[in-house]
Amino acid sequence: MIRFDQVSKRYEGGHEALSQLSFEVATGEMAFITGHSGAGKSTLLKLLGLIERPSHGVVTLDGQNLAKIGRAGIPKLRRRLGMVFQDHRLLMDRTVFANVELPLVIGGMAPHERGKRVRAALEKVGLLAYERQLPATLSAGEQQRVGIARAIVAKPTLLIADEPTGNLDPTLAVEIMGLFAEFQNVGTTVVIASHDLPLIKRMKKRVVVLDHGRLVADVAAQEVL
Amino acid sequence: MSTQPEFPMESPLLSDQSRGIRTKARPVASWREHHGWSAAASLRRLMSRPVGTLLTVAVMAIALALPLTFYLLLGNLQKMGDALGQNQTISVFMQPGQSVSSADMLAKKLRERSEVAGVKLKSPDQGMDELAKMQGFSGALHALDVNPLPFVLEVQPKADASADSIDHLVADMRGMSGVDQVQDGGTWRQRLEALLGVGERIVMILAGLLAVAVLLVVGNTVRVDIASRHEEIGVLMLVGASRAFVRRPYLYAGIWYGLFAGVLAVGFAVLVELALAEPVQRLGQVYAGKLQVDVLPLWLLGAVPVAAAVLGWLGARLVSAWQLRKAA
Repeated sequence: MIRFDQVSKRYEGGHEALSQLSFEVATGEMAFITGHSGAGKSTLLKLLGLIERPSHGVVTLDGQNLAKIGRAGIPKLRRRLGMVFQDHRLLMDRTVFANVELPLVIGGMAPHERGKRVRAALEKVGLLAYERQLPATLSAGEQQRVGIARAIVAKPTLLIADEPTGNLDPTLAVEIMGLFAEFQNVGTTVVIASHDLPLIKRMKKRVVVLDHGRLVADVAAQEVL
Repeated sequence: MSTQPEFPMESPLLSDQSRGIRTKARPVASWREHHGWSAAASLRRLMSRPVGTLLTVAVMAIALALPLTFYLLLGNLQKMGDALGQNQTISVFMQPGQSVSSADMLAKKLRERSEVAGVKLKSPDQGMDELAKMQGFSGALHALDVNPLPFVLEVQPKADASADSIDHLVADMRGMSGVDQVQDGGTWRQRLEALLGVGERIVMILAGLLAVAVLLVVGNTVRVDIASRHEEIGVLMLVGASRAFVRRPYLYAGIWYGLFAGVLAVGFAVLVELALAEPVQRLGQVYAGKLQVDVLPLWLLGAVPVAAAVLGWLGARLVSAWQLRKAA
Protein backbone atom coordinates (compact mmCIF):
# COMPACT_ATOMS: atom_id res chain seq x y z
CA MET A 1 0.00 0.00 0.00
CA ILE A 2 2.60 2.50 1.16
CA ARG A 3 6.27 2.32 0.34
CA PHE A 4 8.95 4.79 1.37
CA ASP A 5 12.24 4.23 -0.42
CA GLN A 6 15.27 6.20 0.81
CA VAL A 7 13.09 9.23 1.40
CA SER A 8 14.64 12.46 2.65
CA LYS A 9 12.94 15.77 3.21
CA ARG A 10 14.94 18.91 3.71
CA TYR A 11 12.97 22.09 4.30
CA GLU A 12 14.08 25.45 3.07
CA GLY A 13 16.57 26.73 5.59
CA GLY A 14 18.33 23.38 5.84
CA HIS A 15 16.32 21.55 8.49
CA GLU A 16 16.22 17.88 7.57
CA ALA A 17 12.89 16.46 8.71
CA LEU A 18 13.30 13.00 7.21
CA SER A 19 16.52 11.25 6.42
CA GLN A 20 16.80 8.24 4.10
CA LEU A 21 13.64 6.72 5.41
CA SER A 22 12.59 3.34 4.04
CA PHE A 23 9.60 1.30 5.16
CA GLU A 24 6.40 -0.25 3.87
CA VAL A 25 2.85 -0.52 5.13
CA ALA A 26 0.76 -3.37 3.75
CA THR A 27 -2.84 -3.00 2.59
CA GLY A 28 -5.19 -3.32 5.52
CA GLU A 29 -2.45 -2.75 8.06
CA MET A 30 -2.63 -0.26 10.89
CA ALA A 31 0.59 1.46 11.89
CA PHE A 32 1.56 4.12 14.39
CA ILE A 33 4.33 6.55 13.58
CA THR A 34 5.85 7.81 16.79
CA GLY A 35 8.82 9.72 18.11
CA HIS A 36 9.50 12.95 19.95
CA SER A 37 8.18 16.16 18.52
CA GLY A 38 10.21 17.17 15.48
CA ALA A 39 11.08 13.56 14.71
CA GLY A 40 9.40 13.83 11.32
CA LYS A 41 6.00 12.22 11.99
CA SER A 42 3.95 15.01 10.48
CA THR A 43 6.29 15.41 7.55
CA LEU A 44 5.90 11.72 6.77
CA LEU A 45 2.10 12.04 6.62
CA LYS A 46 2.36 15.25 4.60
CA LEU A 47 4.34 13.39 1.96
CA LEU A 48 1.50 10.87 1.67
CA GLY A 49 -1.09 13.58 1.07
CA LEU A 50 1.26 15.51 -1.21
CA ILE A 51 1.09 18.48 1.14
CA GLU A 52 4.87 18.29 0.91
CA ARG A 53 7.13 16.59 -1.59
CA PRO A 54 10.31 14.65 -0.74
CA SER A 55 13.72 16.15 -1.49
CA HIS A 56 15.07 12.69 -2.31
CA GLY A 57 13.73 9.20 -2.61
CA VAL A 58 10.46 7.74 -3.77
CA VAL A 59 7.09 7.50 -2.05
CA THR A 60 4.78 4.94 -3.60
CA LEU A 61 1.08 4.64 -2.86
CA ASP A 62 -0.87 1.68 -4.24
CA GLY A 63 1.98 1.12 -6.70
CA GLN A 64 1.87 4.71 -7.89
CA ASN A 65 4.97 6.87 -7.60
CA LEU A 66 3.71 10.09 -6.01
CA ALA A 67 6.47 12.10 -7.71
CA LYS A 68 4.65 11.40 -10.98
CA ILE A 69 1.53 13.17 -9.77
CA GLY A 70 1.55 16.78 -10.91
CA ARG A 71 -0.19 19.69 -9.27
CA ALA A 72 -3.37 19.01 -11.19
CA GLY A 73 -3.44 15.40 -9.99
CA ILE A 74 -3.21 16.21 -6.27
CA PRO A 75 -6.97 16.62 -5.68
CA LYS A 76 -7.64 13.22 -7.19
CA LEU A 77 -5.01 11.63 -4.94
CA ARG A 78 -6.45 13.30 -1.84
CA ARG A 79 -9.89 12.02 -2.65
CA ARG A 80 -8.49 8.51 -2.26
CA LEU A 81 -7.23 9.36 1.22
CA GLY A 82 -8.98 10.19 4.41
CA MET A 83 -7.02 12.71 6.46
CA VAL A 84 -7.59 13.51 10.11
CA PHE A 85 -5.81 16.45 11.71
CA GLN A 86 -5.00 17.30 15.30
CA ASP A 87 -6.92 20.57 14.97
CA HIS A 88 -9.60 18.69 13.00
CA ARG A 89 -9.81 21.45 10.36
CA LEU A 90 -13.58 21.74 10.31
CA LEU A 91 -15.46 24.58 8.65
CA MET A 92 -16.89 26.33 11.68
CA ASP A 93 -19.64 28.14 9.77
CA ARG A 94 -21.13 24.93 8.37
CA THR A 95 -23.18 22.33 10.14
CA VAL A 96 -21.74 19.00 11.15
CA PHE A 97 -23.65 17.45 8.27
CA ALA A 98 -22.25 19.93 5.72
CA ASN A 99 -18.71 19.33 6.97
CA VAL A 100 -18.95 15.58 6.63
CA GLU A 101 -20.68 15.95 3.28
CA LEU A 102 -17.82 17.97 1.72
CA PRO A 103 -15.74 15.10 0.29
CA LEU A 104 -18.88 13.66 -1.32
CA VAL A 105 -19.81 17.01 -2.86
CA ILE A 106 -16.28 17.31 -4.18
CA GLY A 107 -16.61 13.78 -5.55
CA GLY A 108 -19.75 14.83 -7.39
CA MET A 109 -22.16 12.49 -5.65
CA ALA A 110 -25.91 13.03 -6.00
CA PRO A 111 -27.61 14.66 -2.97
CA HIS A 112 -29.81 11.73 -1.89
CA GLU A 113 -26.82 9.38 -1.90
CA ARG A 114 -24.78 11.96 -0.01
CA GLY A 115 -27.38 12.09 2.74
CA LYS A 116 -27.31 8.33 3.26
CA ARG A 117 -23.54 8.18 3.37
CA VAL A 118 -23.16 11.18 5.68
CA ARG A 119 -25.65 9.74 8.16
CA ALA A 120 -23.95 6.36 8.06
CA ALA A 121 -20.60 8.03 8.80
CA LEU A 122 -22.06 10.16 11.59
CA GLU A 123 -23.73 7.13 13.07
CA LYS A 124 -20.42 5.33 13.02
CA VAL A 125 -18.77 8.05 15.11
CA GLY A 126 -21.86 8.37 17.30
CA LEU A 127 -22.85 11.88 16.27
CA LEU A 128 -25.98 11.32 14.24
CA ALA A 129 -27.99 13.45 16.64
CA TYR A 130 -25.70 16.43 16.08
CA GLU A 131 -25.94 16.70 12.29
CA ARG A 132 -27.71 20.07 12.31
CA GLN A 133 -25.37 21.67 14.83
CA LEU A 134 -22.38 23.87 14.21
CA PRO A 135 -19.02 22.37 15.21
CA ALA A 136 -18.43 25.15 17.76
CA THR A 137 -21.28 23.79 19.87
CA LEU A 138 -19.55 20.42 20.20
CA SER A 139 -16.82 19.33 22.61
CA ALA A 140 -13.23 18.81 21.43
CA GLY A 141 -13.71 15.05 21.28
CA GLU A 142 -16.92 15.42 19.31
CA GLN A 143 -15.29 17.82 16.89
CA GLN A 144 -12.50 15.32 16.34
CA ARG A 145 -15.08 12.65 15.63
CA VAL A 146 -16.71 14.92 13.04
CA GLY A 147 -13.27 15.20 11.44
CA ILE A 148 -13.01 11.42 11.42
CA ALA A 149 -16.48 11.07 9.90
CA ARG A 150 -15.43 13.47 7.16
CA ALA A 151 -12.26 11.45 6.56
CA ILE A 152 -14.09 8.14 6.18
CA VAL A 153 -17.30 9.25 4.45
CA ALA A 154 -15.88 8.77 0.95
CA LYS A 155 -14.66 5.27 1.91
CA PRO A 156 -10.95 5.90 1.39
CA THR A 157 -8.53 3.01 1.06
CA LEU A 158 -6.05 4.82 3.27
CA LEU A 159 -6.79 6.74 6.43
CA ILE A 160 -4.03 8.94 7.82
CA ALA A 161 -4.25 10.85 11.07
CA ASP A 162 -1.84 13.39 12.53
CA GLU A 163 -2.00 13.40 16.34
CA PRO A 164 -5.76 12.76 16.31
CA THR A 165 -5.87 12.52 20.11
CA GLY A 166 -3.46 15.35 20.82
CA ASN A 167 -6.10 17.61 22.31
CA LEU A 168 -8.19 14.97 24.05
CA ASP A 169 -8.30 13.60 27.55
CA PRO A 170 -7.14 9.98 27.96
CA THR A 171 -10.61 8.39 28.00
CA LEU A 172 -11.64 10.17 24.82
CA ALA A 173 -8.30 9.35 23.25
CA VAL A 174 -8.82 5.63 23.80
CA GLU A 175 -12.28 5.90 22.33
CA ILE A 176 -10.99 7.65 19.20
CA MET A 177 -8.16 5.16 18.72
CA GLY A 178 -10.68 2.34 19.04
CA LEU A 179 -12.62 3.93 16.21
CA PHE A 180 -9.54 3.85 13.98
CA ALA A 181 -8.97 0.19 14.84
CA GLU A 182 -12.51 -0.54 13.69
CA PHE A 183 -11.78 0.96 10.32
CA GLN A 184 -8.76 -1.27 10.03
CA ASN A 185 -11.00 -4.21 10.81
CA VAL A 186 -13.02 -3.56 7.67
CA GLY A 187 -9.98 -3.40 5.45
CA THR A 188 -8.88 0.22 5.53
CA THR A 189 -5.17 0.88 5.80
CA VAL A 190 -4.61 3.21 8.76
CA VAL A 191 -1.50 5.27 9.54
CA ILE A 192 -1.52 7.40 12.67
CA ALA A 193 1.17 9.77 13.87
CA SER A 194 1.14 10.07 17.64
CA HIS A 195 3.56 10.73 20.47
CA ASP A 196 1.28 9.18 23.08
CA LEU A 197 3.31 6.06 23.80
CA PRO A 198 1.14 4.56 26.57
CA LEU A 199 -1.88 4.78 24.29
CA ILE A 200 0.02 3.28 21.34
CA LYS A 201 1.17 0.37 23.48
CA ARG A 202 -2.41 -0.30 24.48
CA MET A 203 -3.51 -0.58 20.87
CA LYS A 204 -1.14 -3.46 20.05
CA LYS A 205 -0.52 -2.38 16.48
CA ARG A 206 2.64 -1.95 14.46
CA VAL A 207 4.82 0.96 15.68
CA VAL A 208 7.36 2.82 13.57
CA VAL A 209 9.68 4.94 15.69
CA LEU A 210 11.41 7.97 14.23
CA ASP A 211 14.21 10.01 15.72
CA HIS A 212 15.48 13.14 14.01
CA GLY A 213 13.97 11.93 10.76
CA ARG A 214 15.55 8.49 10.88
CA LEU A 215 13.82 5.20 11.44
CA VAL A 216 15.16 3.84 14.71
CA ALA A 217 12.70 1.02 15.41
CA ASP A 218 9.94 -0.83 13.59
CA VAL A 219 7.96 -3.02 15.96
CA ALA A 220 5.46 -5.51 14.55
CA ALA A 221 1.99 -5.62 16.10
CA GLN A 222 2.48 -8.95 17.86
CA GLU A 223 5.75 -7.72 19.40
CA VAL A 224 4.21 -4.70 21.07
CA LEU A 225 4.30 -5.27 24.80
CA MET B 1 -24.29 1.76 -6.40
CA SER B 2 -27.46 0.26 -4.97
CA THR B 3 -25.96 -3.18 -4.46
CA GLN B 4 -23.15 -1.74 -2.42
CA PRO B 5 -23.24 -1.59 1.33
CA GLU B 6 -24.12 1.82 2.68
CA PHE B 7 -20.91 2.03 4.56
CA PRO B 8 -17.74 -0.04 4.85
CA MET B 9 -18.34 -0.86 8.49
CA GLU B 10 -21.52 -2.69 7.61
CA SER B 11 -19.71 -5.32 5.64
CA PRO B 12 -17.04 -7.38 7.37
CA LEU B 13 -14.75 -7.35 4.36
CA LEU B 14 -14.78 -4.62 1.88
CA SER B 15 -14.03 -5.16 -1.76
CA ASP B 16 -12.05 -2.41 -3.39
CA GLN B 17 -14.74 -1.72 -5.98
CA SER B 18 -17.10 -0.34 -3.41
CA ARG B 19 -14.61 2.15 -2.08
CA GLY B 20 -14.34 5.76 -2.99
CA ILE B 21 -16.74 7.74 -5.06
CA ARG B 22 -16.76 6.69 -8.62
CA THR B 23 -17.70 9.63 -10.78
CA LYS B 24 -16.16 8.57 -14.06
CA ALA B 25 -19.33 6.77 -15.09
CA ARG B 26 -21.40 9.91 -14.63
CA PRO B 27 -19.26 12.92 -15.48
CA VAL B 28 -22.21 15.01 -16.66
CA ALA B 29 -24.20 14.31 -13.53
CA SER B 30 -21.25 15.14 -11.31
CA TRP B 31 -20.58 18.32 -13.30
CA ARG B 32 -24.19 19.35 -12.79
CA GLU B 33 -23.92 18.40 -9.15
CA HIS B 34 -20.86 20.58 -8.67
CA HIS B 35 -22.41 23.57 -10.36
CA GLY B 36 -25.69 23.22 -8.55
CA TRP B 37 -23.92 22.98 -5.23
CA SER B 38 -21.63 25.93 -5.96
CA ALA B 39 -24.47 28.13 -7.18
CA ALA B 40 -26.58 27.34 -4.12
CA ALA B 41 -23.65 27.61 -1.70
CA SER B 42 -22.61 31.00 -3.03
CA LEU B 43 -26.18 32.25 -2.93
CA ARG B 44 -26.54 31.10 0.68
CA ARG B 45 -23.29 32.85 1.49
CA LEU B 46 -24.52 36.13 0.01
CA MET B 47 -27.81 35.81 1.88
CA SER B 48 -26.02 35.09 5.14
CA ARG B 49 -24.68 38.66 5.15
CA PRO B 50 -27.58 40.57 3.60
CA VAL B 51 -26.40 44.08 4.43
CA GLY B 52 -23.01 43.70 2.84
CA THR B 53 -24.52 42.01 -0.19
CA LEU B 54 -27.18 44.68 -0.55
CA LEU B 55 -24.59 47.47 -0.36
CA THR B 56 -22.41 45.88 -3.00
CA VAL B 57 -25.40 45.22 -5.23
CA ALA B 58 -26.70 48.78 -4.74
CA VAL B 59 -23.36 50.36 -5.66
CA MET B 60 -23.19 48.20 -8.77
CA ALA B 61 -26.82 48.91 -9.64
CA ILE B 62 -26.29 52.66 -9.47
CA ALA B 63 -23.23 52.36 -11.65
CA LEU B 64 -25.32 50.44 -14.18
CA ALA B 65 -28.38 52.68 -13.87
CA LEU B 66 -26.47 55.89 -14.61
CA PRO B 67 -25.71 55.20 -18.28
CA LEU B 68 -29.18 53.70 -18.68
CA THR B 69 -30.73 56.91 -17.38
CA PHE B 70 -28.59 59.09 -19.61
CA TYR B 71 -29.47 56.90 -22.53
CA LEU B 72 -33.12 57.38 -21.70
CA LEU B 73 -32.78 61.16 -21.44
CA LEU B 74 -30.87 61.28 -24.68
CA GLY B 75 -33.49 59.20 -26.44
CA ASN B 76 -36.22 61.54 -25.29
CA LEU B 77 -34.33 64.66 -26.34
CA GLN B 78 -33.69 63.07 -29.70
CA LYS B 79 -37.32 62.24 -30.15
CA MET B 80 -38.39 65.70 -29.15
CA GLY B 81 -35.96 67.19 -31.60
CA ASP B 82 -37.38 64.95 -34.34
CA ALA B 83 -40.91 65.93 -33.50
CA LEU B 84 -40.02 69.61 -33.59
CA GLY B 85 -38.17 69.09 -36.85
CA GLN B 86 -41.39 68.05 -38.52
CA ASN B 87 -42.78 71.47 -37.72
CA GLN B 88 -39.74 73.31 -38.82
CA THR B 89 -40.70 76.29 -41.00
CA ILE B 90 -38.57 79.01 -42.48
CA SER B 91 -40.15 82.42 -42.35
CA VAL B 92 -39.35 84.71 -45.29
CA PHE B 93 -40.18 88.35 -44.58
CA MET B 94 -40.58 90.43 -47.71
CA GLN B 95 -39.61 94.06 -47.93
CA PRO B 96 -42.49 96.32 -46.95
CA GLY B 97 -44.58 97.62 -49.79
CA GLN B 98 -44.25 94.59 -52.05
CA SER B 99 -47.28 93.83 -54.17
CA VAL B 100 -49.46 90.73 -53.94
CA SER B 101 -48.35 89.59 -57.36
CA SER B 102 -44.65 89.72 -56.52
CA ALA B 103 -45.34 87.80 -53.29
CA ASP B 104 -47.31 85.21 -55.29
CA MET B 105 -44.50 84.96 -57.79
CA LEU B 106 -41.91 84.39 -55.09
CA ALA B 107 -44.14 81.74 -53.46
CA LYS B 108 -44.54 79.98 -56.81
CA LYS B 109 -40.81 80.09 -57.42
CA LEU B 110 -40.13 78.53 -54.03
CA ARG B 111 -42.78 75.82 -54.45
CA GLU B 112 -40.92 74.62 -57.52
CA ARG B 113 -37.81 73.80 -55.53
CA SER B 114 -37.25 70.12 -54.76
CA GLU B 115 -36.43 70.59 -51.08
CA VAL B 116 -39.60 72.56 -50.40
CA ALA B 117 -42.72 70.75 -49.28
CA GLY B 118 -45.04 73.74 -49.22
CA VAL B 119 -45.25 77.50 -48.99
CA LYS B 120 -47.89 79.41 -47.16
CA LEU B 121 -48.39 83.05 -48.04
CA LYS B 122 -49.46 85.39 -45.29
CA SER B 123 -50.66 88.81 -46.30
CA PRO B 124 -50.10 91.84 -44.07
CA ASP B 125 -53.82 91.75 -43.23
CA GLN B 126 -53.64 88.17 -42.10
CA GLY B 127 -50.62 89.04 -40.04
CA MET B 128 -52.55 91.90 -38.49
CA ASP B 129 -55.44 89.54 -37.66
CA GLU B 130 -53.06 87.10 -35.95
CA LEU B 131 -51.51 89.86 -33.92
CA ALA B 132 -54.90 91.21 -33.02
CA LYS B 133 -55.87 87.87 -31.55
CA MET B 134 -52.94 87.98 -29.18
CA GLN B 135 -53.79 89.59 -25.91
CA GLY B 136 -52.65 93.11 -25.32
CA PHE B 137 -51.97 93.91 -28.92
CA SER B 138 -55.43 94.90 -30.23
CA GLY B 139 -55.40 98.32 -28.62
CA ALA B 140 -51.96 99.16 -29.92
CA LEU B 141 -52.87 98.03 -33.42
CA HIS B 142 -55.89 100.24 -33.58
CA ALA B 143 -53.60 103.19 -33.07
CA LEU B 144 -51.84 102.47 -36.34
CA ASP B 145 -52.92 104.25 -39.47
CA VAL B 146 -51.35 101.91 -41.93
CA ASN B 147 -50.52 98.25 -41.74
CA PRO B 148 -46.74 98.11 -41.25
CA LEU B 149 -46.50 94.35 -41.71
CA PRO B 150 -44.88 92.83 -44.78
CA PHE B 151 -45.91 89.75 -46.74
CA VAL B 152 -44.56 86.66 -45.05
CA LEU B 153 -43.89 83.33 -46.78
CA GLU B 154 -43.83 80.34 -44.48
CA VAL B 155 -41.66 77.78 -46.21
CA GLN B 156 -41.94 74.21 -45.06
CA PRO B 157 -38.94 72.10 -46.11
CA LYS B 158 -39.45 68.45 -46.94
CA ALA B 159 -39.00 66.17 -43.93
CA ASP B 160 -36.20 64.25 -45.64
CA ALA B 161 -34.33 67.36 -46.79
CA SER B 162 -30.76 67.38 -45.50
CA ALA B 163 -29.47 70.14 -43.26
CA ASP B 164 -27.10 71.20 -46.03
CA SER B 165 -29.80 71.57 -48.63
CA ILE B 166 -31.88 73.61 -46.21
CA ASP B 167 -28.90 75.85 -45.50
CA HIS B 168 -28.55 76.26 -49.22
CA LEU B 169 -32.22 77.11 -49.60
CA VAL B 170 -31.98 79.71 -46.85
CA ALA B 171 -28.96 81.31 -48.47
CA ASP B 172 -30.71 81.38 -51.85
CA MET B 173 -33.81 82.97 -50.38
CA ARG B 174 -31.75 85.66 -48.68
CA GLY B 175 -30.44 86.67 -52.08
CA MET B 176 -33.81 86.85 -53.79
CA SER B 177 -35.22 90.22 -54.79
CA GLY B 178 -37.93 91.62 -52.55
CA VAL B 179 -36.78 89.54 -49.59
CA ASP B 180 -35.96 91.46 -46.48
CA GLN B 181 -35.21 88.78 -43.89
CA VAL B 182 -35.13 85.00 -43.59
CA GLN B 183 -35.66 83.41 -40.22
CA ASP B 184 -34.50 79.82 -40.07
CA GLY B 185 -35.70 77.81 -37.09
CA GLY B 186 -33.42 74.94 -38.16
CA THR B 187 -30.21 76.28 -36.72
CA TRP B 188 -31.06 75.50 -33.15
CA ARG B 189 -32.08 72.04 -34.25
CA GLN B 190 -28.71 71.46 -35.82
CA ARG B 191 -27.13 72.58 -32.61
CA LEU B 192 -29.33 70.19 -30.68
CA GLU B 193 -28.40 67.38 -33.01
CA ALA B 194 -24.69 68.11 -32.55
CA LEU B 195 -25.20 68.26 -28.80
CA LEU B 196 -27.02 64.95 -28.83
CA GLY B 197 -24.12 63.49 -30.79
CA VAL B 198 -21.74 64.64 -28.06
CA GLY B 199 -24.17 63.34 -25.44
CA GLU B 200 -24.29 59.95 -27.10
CA ARG B 201 -20.53 59.73 -27.06
CA ILE B 202 -20.44 60.78 -23.40
CA VAL B 203 -22.98 58.07 -22.55
CA MET B 204 -20.84 55.49 -24.31
CA ILE B 205 -17.69 56.57 -22.50
CA LEU B 206 -19.58 56.69 -19.22
CA ALA B 207 -21.03 53.23 -19.80
CA GLY B 208 -17.53 51.92 -20.46
CA LEU B 209 -16.12 53.54 -17.32
CA LEU B 210 -18.98 52.37 -15.17
CA ALA B 211 -18.69 48.85 -16.54
CA VAL B 212 -15.09 48.91 -15.35
CA ALA B 213 -16.36 50.20 -11.99
CA VAL B 214 -18.77 47.26 -11.77
CA LEU B 215 -15.91 44.92 -12.58
CA LEU B 216 -13.79 46.48 -9.84
CA VAL B 217 -16.56 46.40 -7.24
CA VAL B 218 -17.20 42.70 -7.86
CA GLY B 219 -13.48 42.02 -8.03
CA ASN B 220 -12.80 43.70 -4.73
CA THR B 221 -15.74 42.07 -2.99
CA VAL B 222 -14.62 38.65 -4.16
CA ARG B 223 -11.03 39.44 -3.21
CA VAL B 224 -12.04 40.30 0.35
CA ASP B 225 -14.23 37.21 0.46
CA ILE B 226 -11.43 34.91 -0.68
CA ALA B 227 -8.99 36.51 1.74
CA SER B 228 -11.38 35.97 4.64
CA ARG B 229 -11.91 32.36 3.62
CA HIS B 230 -8.26 31.49 3.45
CA GLU B 231 -8.66 28.74 6.02
CA GLU B 232 -11.73 27.25 4.41
CA ILE B 233 -9.95 27.10 1.07
CA GLY B 234 -7.11 25.23 2.74
CA VAL B 235 -9.55 22.70 4.20
CA LEU B 236 -11.28 22.22 0.86
CA MET B 237 -7.98 21.54 -0.86
CA LEU B 238 -7.02 19.06 1.88
CA VAL B 239 -10.16 17.02 1.36
CA GLY B 240 -9.49 16.80 -2.35
CA ALA B 241 -11.13 19.83 -3.93
CA SER B 242 -9.66 20.92 -7.21
CA ARG B 243 -8.86 24.57 -7.74
CA ALA B 244 -11.78 24.78 -10.12
CA PHE B 245 -14.06 23.51 -7.35
CA VAL B 246 -12.69 26.00 -4.82
CA ARG B 247 -13.08 28.81 -7.28
CA ARG B 248 -16.54 28.02 -8.56
CA PRO B 249 -18.58 29.49 -5.67
CA TYR B 250 -16.74 32.79 -6.10
CA LEU B 251 -17.51 32.84 -9.82
CA TYR B 252 -21.15 32.19 -9.01
CA ALA B 253 -21.04 34.95 -6.41
CA GLY B 254 -19.85 37.29 -9.17
CA ILE B 255 -22.71 36.14 -11.37
CA TRP B 256 -25.24 36.65 -8.57
CA TYR B 257 -23.92 40.12 -7.75
CA GLY B 258 -24.10 41.08 -11.42
CA LEU B 259 -27.54 39.62 -11.93
CA PHE B 260 -29.05 41.27 -8.85
CA ALA B 261 -27.38 44.59 -9.64
CA GLY B 262 -28.62 44.38 -13.24
CA VAL B 263 -32.20 43.75 -12.17
CA LEU B 264 -32.02 46.56 -9.62
CA ALA B 265 -30.52 48.91 -12.23
CA VAL B 266 -33.37 48.11 -14.61
CA GLY B 267 -35.74 48.86 -11.73
CA PHE B 268 -34.07 52.25 -11.21
CA ALA B 269 -34.25 53.02 -14.91
CA VAL B 270 -37.95 52.14 -15.07
CA LEU B 271 -38.57 54.44 -12.11
CA VAL B 272 -36.78 57.26 -13.91
CA GLU B 273 -38.85 56.45 -16.98
CA LEU B 274 -42.06 56.74 -14.99
CA ALA B 275 -40.91 59.94 -13.34
CA LEU B 276 -40.08 61.45 -16.72
CA ALA B 277 -43.16 60.26 -18.56
CA GLU B 278 -45.58 62.92 -17.42
CA PRO B 279 -43.42 66.06 -17.80
CA VAL B 280 -42.05 64.89 -21.15
CA GLN B 281 -45.56 64.24 -22.36
CA ARG B 282 -46.56 67.75 -21.36
CA LEU B 283 -43.55 69.26 -23.02
CA GLY B 284 -44.35 67.33 -26.15
CA GLN B 285 -47.90 68.58 -26.18
CA VAL B 286 -46.78 72.17 -25.88
CA TYR B 287 -44.38 71.89 -28.74
CA ALA B 288 -45.47 69.38 -31.25
CA GLY B 289 -48.95 68.36 -30.39
CA LYS B 290 -48.37 64.65 -30.09
CA LEU B 291 -45.18 63.20 -28.68
CA GLN B 292 -44.72 59.70 -27.32
CA VAL B 293 -42.34 59.31 -24.41
CA ASP B 294 -39.29 57.35 -25.46
CA VAL B 295 -39.01 54.26 -23.27
CA LEU B 296 -36.05 51.92 -22.92
CA PRO B 297 -36.49 49.03 -25.33
CA LEU B 298 -37.37 45.67 -23.76
CA TRP B 299 -34.35 43.96 -25.20
CA LEU B 300 -32.13 46.46 -23.40
CA LEU B 301 -33.94 45.89 -20.11
CA GLY B 302 -33.37 42.18 -20.58
CA ALA B 303 -29.79 42.58 -21.72
CA VAL B 304 -28.65 44.70 -18.77
CA PRO B 305 -28.92 41.95 -16.12
CA VAL B 306 -27.32 39.44 -18.46
CA ALA B 307 -24.45 41.79 -19.31
CA ALA B 308 -24.05 42.65 -15.62
CA ALA B 309 -23.90 38.96 -14.74
CA VAL B 310 -21.19 38.48 -17.35
CA LEU B 311 -19.30 41.46 -15.90
CA GLY B 312 -19.65 40.02 -12.40
CA TRP B 313 -18.39 36.65 -13.53
CA LEU B 314 -15.46 38.27 -15.31
CA GLY B 315 -14.51 40.36 -12.28
CA ALA B 316 -14.68 37.33 -10.00
CA ARG B 317 -12.74 35.27 -12.49
CA LEU B 318 -9.88 37.73 -12.82
CA VAL B 319 -9.53 38.19 -9.08
CA SER B 320 -9.91 34.52 -8.14
CA ALA B 321 -7.39 33.39 -10.73
CA TRP B 322 -4.89 35.78 -9.28
CA GLN B 323 -5.68 35.06 -5.64
CA LEU B 324 -5.90 31.29 -5.84
CA ARG B 325 -2.79 30.90 -7.96
CA LYS B 326 -0.80 29.77 -4.94
CA ALA B 327 -3.46 27.57 -3.37
CA ALA B 328 -2.59 23.91 -3.51
